[in-house]
Amino acid sequence: MSLFVRINAISDSAKVRKAWFGLVCAIFICIIIVPSVFVVTKVFTDWGLISGVLGDSAEMAVIGRAVWNSFSIAFIVTILDVVAGLPIAWILVRKNFRGKRFLDTLLDMPLAFPTAVLGLSVVMFWGAPEGVTIPGLGICFSPYLMLVLLHIIFTYPYMVRSLSGILEQIEPNYETAAMTLGASRFTAVRTITLPLFRAGLVTGTTLCFARSLSETGGTYIALTLMGCESSFFTGPTYIMDNSGGALSGPMILISVIMILLALALLVLVKAVITHLHVSGNRVWPELGRKLSRGFAPKAKDALALFFMVLFVLVPSFYLFVYLSEPTAMDYGTLLGSIGTSFLVAGVAVLFDIVFGIPLAMYIARHRGERFAGILDNLVNIPLIIPTTALGLSLALFWGGTASTGAVAVVLVILGHISFTYPLVVRNITGAVEEVDPAYEETALTLGAKPLETFSKVLFPVIKSSVIAGAILAFTRSLGETGATVAISSSVNTVPVYIVNLVKEGAASYPAAAMCSIVLIAICFVLMFAVRAVMHRGSDRDA
Amino acid sequence: MAPKITLDHISMKFGDFYAVHDISLDVEEGEYVTILGPSGCGKTTLIKVISGIWHPTEGRVLIDGEDVTDVPLEDRDMGYVFQNIALFPNLTNLANVEYGPRVRAWPPEEQRATAEKYLKLVAMLDRAGMFPGELSGGEQQKVAIARALASGSKILMLDEPLSALDARVRMELRYEIRRIVKELGITVLHVTHDQEEAMSVSDRIVLMRAGRVHDTGAPLDIYRNPQSIFAAYFIGETNLLEGYVSGWTKNGRTKVRLRGGHTVRAEKSAFATGDAVVISVRPENVYTADDGLKAKVVSVVFMGTFWRVRTVAETGDYLEYNVSGNHAAPRPGDQVMLVFNKRMTKVFARPAEGLEGAISLE
Repeated sequence: MSLFVRINAISDSAKVRKAWFGLVCAIFICIIIVPSVFVVTKVFTDWGLISGVLGDSAEMAVIGRAVWNSFSIAFIVTILDVVAGLPIAWILVRKNFRGKRFLDTLLDMPLAFPTAVLGLSVVMFWGAPEGVTIPGLGICFSPYLMLVLLHIIFTYPYMVRSLSGILEQIEPNYETAAMTLGASRFTAVRTITLPLFRAGLVTGTTLCFARSLSETGGTYIALTLMGCESSFFTGPTYIMDNSGGALSGPMILISVIMILLALALLVLVKAVITHLHVSGNRVWPELGRKLSRGFAPKAKDALALFFMVLFVLVPSFYLFVYLSEPTAMDYGTLLGSIGTSFLVAGVAVLFDIVFGIPLAMYIARHRGERFAGILDNLVNIPLIIPTTALGLSLALFWGGTASTGAVAVVLVILGHISFTYPLVVRNITGAVEEVDPAYEETALTLGAKPLETFSKVLFPVIKSSVIAGAILAFTRSLGETGATVAISSSVNTVPVYIVNLVKEGAASYPAAAMCSIVLIAICFVLMFAVRAVMHRGSDRDA
Repeated sequence: MAPKITLDHISMKFGDFYAVHDISLDVEEGEYVTILGPSGCGKTTLIKVISGIWHPTEGRVLIDGEDVTDVPLEDRDMGYVFQNIALFPNLTNLANVEYGPRVRAWPPEEQRATAEKYLKLVAMLDRAGMFPGELSGGEQQKVAIARALASGSKILMLDEPLSALDARVRMELRYEIRRIVKELGITVLHVTHDQEEAMSVSDRIVLMRAGRVHDTGAPLDIYRNPQSIFAAYFIGETNLLEGYVSGWTKNGRTKVRLRGGHTVRAEKSAFATGDAVVISVRPENVYTADDGLKAKVVSVVFMGTFWRVRTVAETGDYLEYNVSGNHAAPRPGDQVMLVFNKRMTKVFARPAEGLEGAISLE
């Protein structure tokens, strides 16, 4: 405690606070932002490698196809998420019913599943290895369609969360007001609530798009199970397929393309959604009334729930059928990889919290100022960069892709910090913005020092958001495959282990499934433990 | 002609709690009725039921004799003005006012003309192109009133429309609202917890307490002739003195013996000698004299046009009276003799739940 007292006393000095904030900014820029996009500089320093690829038209065609697959899948998935996620977000925020909390928790579950696990589960459900054929309809799931089905699962919860977050902030009175003016609920929502939704839509689409673009492990597993991992590529699986060896032109090129396209698209999405003017002048009172009453709204809710259950929940949990097939397992390797996974995720999250809170506080408390605005936009960058490209970039920045041993673990941790940091900062920024600065000012006028003010006044209020952000970051790190593989081939985290098992062939599928189940079980125990702790703390807030 | 609203045994239950308990009420054509009551008395719940935002647990709402209980909110055609204003932030003021006509799919030129007409009525036409966020609270509420009226509703619900505004704006706007609705001949239900506001704008006040109608009447009647201690206490200000009926004057006025043996005379009443009673007398009807109830000044507060003098009488009751701002006020600690205007007193039975219980706001 005497250390706290000392730091607390020092925290009174403006110079010390400035130095601390400077350090946080420096770490943010040097460890998180610059390494993330470092690969772009290779375009200038290693032009020879790239021009070689540009001349190879066969390779270029593969790269082009991979990039196209990535972006078009992300696009389709995002649209589906918006359409199917909106009614669910609505139900979660505006309706009260028994089992609402249960539905809420169910929705978060796919987030706790490592995507590699989901890849396995989804392909099993929809029918591996050659794609399911729906009898009588003659529909055969191509790899492309399978990936769409897979990506919906891990993007959907992000979309619903973003949309419900915004919906919670929109005054329900607006809708009531519109209805007292004679608008049916359908018309009221269409003309008033939806236009107010834009901010949530930007966050939701960005998150979903980025998540889909960067996903590697699950995609790779799905493709492997369908037997087309070396004929059908997305951007990240292309990098993964080429990783492990020497630095090659195609890897750099596709990473750069993915990074630049993702950034450009982010700006574009933001601009389009913010400036899009949907003319709401036309109204159809009769149609609106029909759609607002009786059968139509119920059908919409039922359809949205049906979509969620069939396309998100059931495929995620399908894996558990393997529990009925006892199988020989190499528990030693599994436990080792679990240890590695937890070490990486734990250190990364701890780092995120310590260096994320000061940045989040600065962004939240200096809204509208230029520097804060720049930081705010910078934070998002690692979020939208495909993690495989990010991993490659990081490995290049810290010196070579071939590191081994402890160095490799440290590099992997740095990589995981990069893409989890934004998640933590986002969550905390939102929470700090909700807190009236008057509380802190009051504490300061009562004689508390800045550190004490933070630890006794602000932190208790934002604690649940910090924990929520930490859980999100932790599970995200546990589930990551692409970045880990791109940084080092020697760090065996659980998803990497599962991918390797699947690579070995059909005989190892049950073992891969068992690994997944063990990992999921551990994740859940952890999540529930944290939730229980959080709940005890938040009783006072309620 | 403006419609008439009838409430037929309306109850609204949330769980086991009756927010509104068995209320029956008639609001006449073109009448301006204020529902007055302390926070949590169910007044907002009541107008939400009337306007269709909520469906009552029991009872019926009738408009011009026709049962509209099951008519959905959007078809009830009642203007509603919210306490938190609730102008659509994504639309200009003009578009806000046009909204009612627009969702009814009126011809565009008619939408515009109607919106402009009502904006002009509330003197906000020059702000038509601005967004609600660019206006002050009072201006926003004027636009909200224009919006509520623009679809041609002949019934207007005002849900504490002024309580979020500054004192001065509140005063001006309440007369403005009354002028407009009287000009348009609209039936109005206005919810407020501000008794001064209620008295200054309404044709009739409905006093609510704990989900029930406590008293109803024209402002002057309810002020001069309240039917309960609560009404006397909540509407205006009053002094309450506990005592026992000790006899009658030649004119039939009640003689009441206060604590400590001092006897005062109050208005006529139907009690018997020995009954426990409470006398209510408003501060403006208490005067100083050469003889009367002995009291010691406790505090003196300048209220603008008068001094409010608070005293504790020899009976132990607190008594307040006014001194014109033009005169010198007594000082705390001074002794004064107090008398009442007998005709302006009311005698109530001493409530079984005690005086505190009778005037509690819950």
